[in-house]
Amino acid sequence: MDAAVRRYRVMAYITGTVLIVLCFVGIPLQVAAGNDVIVNDVGTLHGILYIIYLVTAYLLARRLRLSIGPTILMLAAGTIPVLTFVVERWVTRKYINPARQGQQAGQAAPTARAG
Amino acid sequence: MSSTQAGRPAAEQAPAVSWRFLVRPRWLGWHLAMVVAVAGMLALGWWQFRRAEEGNALSWAYTFEWPIFAVFAVVFWAKTIRDEFSPPDTDPAGTELAAVARLDGSAGLGEGQEAGQAEPEDEDLAAYNAYLARLQDQVKNHGRWHGLR
Repeated sequence: MDAAVRRYRVMAYITGTVLIVLCFVGIPLQVAAGNDVIVNDVGTLHGILYIIYLVTAYLLARRLRLSIGPTILMLAAGTIPVLTFVVERWVTRKYINPARQGQQAGQAAPTARAG
Repeated sequence: MSSTQAGRPAAEQAPAVSWRFLVRPRWLGWHLAMVVAVAGMLALGWWQFRRAEEGNALSWAYTFEWPIFAVFAVVFWAKTIRDEFSPPDTDPAGTELAAVARLDGSAGLGEGQEAGQAEPEDEDLAAYNAYLARLQDQVKNHGRWHGLR
């Protein structure tokens, strides 16, 4: 599970950062200065990153056995500026940490019984 | 309705998970949303393709992206439905844990009755019970994919 969490986090931060650059640097430049370079390049980059983000987020959601609502929120977060980071914190607090605690409890038990 | 059910062999009525949940209103709503979403994604892909042909270079990326999203949506939907048919409660790890718990519980009881000893055994038992309680907490959140049924 740790690997799935790590992949999701890395993609969440990268995708989130690229999206913030796109929305808060690229689009103002395009609108105000008529400069399309950032929007074109970073936009394409975000498109590719978002596909990878989708896969990692979905795999983690399945691993955590999330219901449809939280899963869709996790997937959609990659398209809305800043929300990626908020949702990452929320998923960590609400689902990843409890699942980790459960895992640790499961691993600790056999030794407790043996001793 | 009852006559058709009576005519069927018992084995056919037996499966715990029937496909019928798929036609309940809530699921029909989700099906509809999925069809609209996938059709919308394909339409957007087609729109981007036309824009790309008109000379918008950026649109080439989106021409491929939207169909990928559509495929992803279909896979997502298929997996969600498949999860409903094979509930996570029956996953191998869960059954294994349950089996271990049963085995261990009976063995522990036998030892306790035989020896009639108190202190160290009780500590183990308390630790084990705490472990079972944690497992219970953990399992509570399982089967969340069933929220729609």
